[in-house]
Amino acid sequence: MAGIVCRTLSRVVSSQTSCCSHVVSVRHSHWFTSILSPKTSVPLRAEPKKKKKIDPRREQMMKERLKKKLKKLERVPPELIPIEDFITSAKCFDETRVREVPKLSFEETERRALLLKHWSRYKFSQHQAEMAEIKEALEAQRQALDELKIESEDLYKAAIAPDTDLFPFQHQGPCYTPPIPNYEAPDGKYNDITRVYTQ
Amino acid sequence: MHLSATMENNNRITKVNCRNEKISFTENHFTATNHKTASVVSPWTLHGAVCLQRLPVISQDRNPIEEQFSGLMQQMELERSLLSDHELRLLEDAARMSRKQEEDYDSDEEEDYGDKEIVTAQDLEDAWEQKLKQFHPAQRSNGDKLDVSSSERCLADSLVLLIKQDVGSQKVWLLPQIQWMAGETLRQTAERALTNLPGADLKATFLGNAPCGFYKYKYPKDIQKEGSVGAKVFFFKAVMFSPNHLPLKKNSFAWVKKDELKDFLTPEYLKQVYRFIMSL
Repeated sequence: MAGIVCRTLSRVVSSQTSCCSHVVSVRHSHWFTSILSPKTSVPLRAEPKKKKKIDPRREQMMKERLKKKLKKLERVPPELIPIEDFITSAKCFDETRVREVPKLSFEETERRALLLKHWSRYKFSQHQAEMAEIKEALEAQRQALDELKIESEDLYKAAIAPDTDLFPFQHQGPCYTPPIPNYEAPDGKYNDITRVYTQ
Repeated sequence: MHLSATMENNNRITKVNCRNEKISFTENHFTATNHKTASVVSPWTLHGAVCLQRLPVISQDRNPIEEQFSGLMQQMELERSLLSDHELRLLEDAARMSRKQEEDYDSDEEEDYGDKEIVTAQDLEDAWEQKLKQFHPAQRSNGDKLDVSSSERCLADSLVLLIKQDVGSQKVWLLPQIQWMAGETLRQTAERALTNLPGADLKATFLGNAPCGFYKYKYPKDIQKEGSVGAKVFFFKAVMFSPNHLPLKKNSFAWVKKDELKDFLTPEYLKQVYRFIMSL
């Protein structure tokens, strides 16, 4: 069989002398046969065919090992998305940013302490007034409902039924200046640089 | 069971308002029906009224104590803060300026100078200032130009709508009210009171089904006949959300703050109404 191959090789070589030199050098090698010869690779021809049974098993073993490694890697929990509010940025620890503060005089500290106490008293009285007003309004409503109950049961039941159309309730709150009638606000341009994390 | 009673009372009220006319024939007709339906009729006629509020549009001015405290808070925050990027830039520019003034100034020693034209932080501040001045916000206070009938009055307070109606034979300032008709809830009566105002096109949101207060008054003795002792008025709160000018004739309606109510309402009425109108 080797003799046949050699003869085909020599035939090929003689017929294709016009080929490029690198092709000819490749053809001279005994590892590369011509296209016309049967499609058998050289090593298989030399050894007996034992690998057919062992190969699939080995391949299976390799696959299982790879799968196990993948599973081990996947078992690691996904990295937590950082909450940017809880991370103090490095800018805060920058020493060049420390502000020079003049020392406060005794009078100033006294003034501040007294003002804070005055403020707490003011706020307390304001809170008391608010609570009293709310309590009064609730009491007025309760009495109104009592009177209505005396008047007629049907109206009372209609009054205490919940109002489904009220919520969600929206109202434009007070600003510093009143709204300008027929004002066209200019389009604002902005670059949104929020970081979006995906797990 | 209330139908016949209210029909009666309707006629009685019309009799009250137009004293010169006699509408006795309709009264006789309805008294006949009254005898047929033997029912427990309450001696009070029901009215529904609406307490329409225009909520504040701008924030209130600060008290002296509040001014002082806000100033103090700003000062304290400034003292405890670090320098911002803009402030650092200002300092750098100032340092660079002072270095330029020195005699042995060598521009090659400047780091990061390059060929760029310096836009100092101060220039930026001035540019921003200019841009702000181009915007003209509306005036906070209209002064005393507006009288009681305008709803653009005191923009920092919540205003309540008052109407001058005739009750009995007198013209009295009160919250818009109307008599209850059978078959509707009191809230619907209040809504009707709002829409029935002549020339009104007010869009209001009623806050819930329950009344917020009530007021009862007795009719004068000569009107009290056949079981109707007086009237009970139930108030419902509503919040206005579209500013509209009521084309009513002047002196018939007013937008008032809580502390101005005493100039308009009768003492007894005021006492009840004062309870549920909030000026927070």
